[in-house]
Amino acid sequence: MTLASSPRLAGYVGLAALGLIVGLAVGRVEIVALAAPFALAAVVGAALKREPQLEASLALDRERALEGDEVVAAIELRTEAGAARLDVFLPLPDELEATRPNPRGIRLAAGESRTLELPLRCVRWGALGVGPALVRARDALGFHSWEGRVGHSAALRVYPSVETLHALLPPLETQVFIGNQVSRAKGEGVEFADIRAWTPGDRVRRINWRVSARRGELHVNEEHPERNTDVVLFLDTFAEVEHAGRGTLDLAVRAATSLAHRYLGRKDRVGLVSFGGFLSWLFPASGTLQLYKIVDSLLQMDIVLTFAAKGVDFLPPRTLPPKALVIALTPLLDTRSASALLDLRARGFDLVVIEVSPVPFVDPGKGELADLSYRLWRLSRESLRARYQRAGVPVVEWQDGVPLNVPLEEVAAFRRYARPARA
Amino acid sequence: MYAAVLADAIARDPRLAVVTAVLGGLGFLLLAFMLVLGWQGSLAAALLLLGGAYAGAVVVHGASVDERAPLVAVGLLLCGELASWSLEERIHVVAERGVVRARAVAVASLCGAGLVASALVIAVAGAPAVRGLAPTAVGALAAVAAIALAIRLARR
Repeated sequence: MTLASSPRLAGYVGLAALGLIVGLAVGRVEIVALAAPFALAAVVGAALKREPQLEASLALDRERALEGDEVVAAIELRTEAGAARLDVFLPLPDELEATRPNPRGIRLAAGESRTLELPLRCVRWGALGVGPALVRARDALGFHSWEGRVGHSAALRVYPSVETLHALLPPLETQVFIGNQVSRAKGEGVEFADIRAWTPGDRVRRINWRVSARRGELHVNEEHPERNTDVVLFLDTFAEVEHAGRGTLDLAVRAATSLAHRYLGRKDRVGLVSFGGFLSWLFPASGTLQLYKIVDSLLQMDIVLTFAAKGVDFLPPRTLPPKALVIALTPLLDTRSASALLDLRARGFDLVVIEVSPVPFVDPGKGELADLSYRLWRLSRESLRARYQRAGVPVVEWQDGVPLNVPLEEVAAFRRYARPARA
Repeated sequence: MYAAVLADAIARDPRLAVVTAVLGGLGFLLLAFMLVLGWQGSLAAALLLLGGAYAGAVVVHGASVDERAPLVAVGLLLCGELASWSLEERIHVVAERGVVRARAVAVASLCGAGLVASALVIAVAGAPAVRGLAPTAVGALAAVAAIALAIRLARR
């Protein structure tokens, strides 16, 4: 710990010395008497110079929390020499808020151990580091202070809150494993699909007796089987726009979390691709473990500026399985992501683009030139949307404050009336 | 506290009232400067100016010993301690009551001990003069011991 002495201590020593010398020189005891208390204070100040020998540890009551939850940080302090005043401050990231005073001043006797509890409210998601604690110890009269960091930091993962989604986007084609999505194919299932003539090998219980009686020959029911879906969440992390703690990346992460939670809940396989300055991916898989992997990966999401050209060729083939539904969450700010998505569409992937609109976070500026620039920028975005739509890709704008159900419903309506052409 | 000491110094000798008031006023300005801007470096200078004003009034006033000197000395010390404490509390830290109480007790104890030390100086100066080798040696040893103790404590 770093020692710092109060400037007044040196001042007292100087006053005492000056008083003694002047008093002796002019032969007046009153001046020596003026100096005496300052000399005493200087001696006392030197006597109080004892380092507190502080030990501390920091622990959180849990490692994972949701937005809005309260987490308690416990700082255990112990000192061998004692501290007349100990100011303890726990540095917090912007995503956490202390609900009790921080810093706090306490007193520790020699050999005493004490635990300070500080409740923290999780304001925003993220992979966060709390601490280490900063302390400043002072002697009884404040002549000396010792400052430093004590203990270690603690890791906390705050997960984004999940939005309730009423309906999910159905894929154009399902996969082969059992799931909750009604497939277009015909086979054994619950949803009625068709009636056909009986062939050897058909089960007796599938025979539609009414039709068979009417037609005079056996006919069986065909159903749509329930199959699972492969979904790939494609996040554009080339650039973002933010304002007052909210931004396009924040919205994209929240949407991805909600979508992953819902799709994995109905036994689908979900993968993740972060396409930007830092390329990362998760192969599609199912289950709770995959949900944790996706959310932990989303917590690490950050914008890394780069000018390198990137394409989807950089991604391993398993990242984008055939017939997967690719849901792209992009602010449409970077042309590289637009090119990559159009490339995916050209390769036959079932692509949906949810435009995380940066418009609410942009200040149009004042003046004719700023207004013109803003309008040109809006027009260029319209042009990019038109490119997607010409390629048969549904693009919906999603603004902050609007429930995610709204753009999903718009996409579903688009796909209901506009089927992609197949060669 | 500062104003009280200054008033006492001015009242000590009306012949030097103007000089005392100017010196003390300058010291007051320095003290205010310290409290407003948070610069502790000017504390000693402020106390020195006021102490100097009092010392000048005492010297000019006459040969009789001013028995109120210990009170003036403690007043100056208390002024310095309170000014320094108020500067430390500028950085708002919510402290337990025991912390504030302990500091108040420590300041009061220091001022009390300072009053006793200052009064002892006046009392010893008023005692009949004792001459001889033994008292001189005792005095010299006491001075050396005090300095050695101070050095030892400072080195700790």
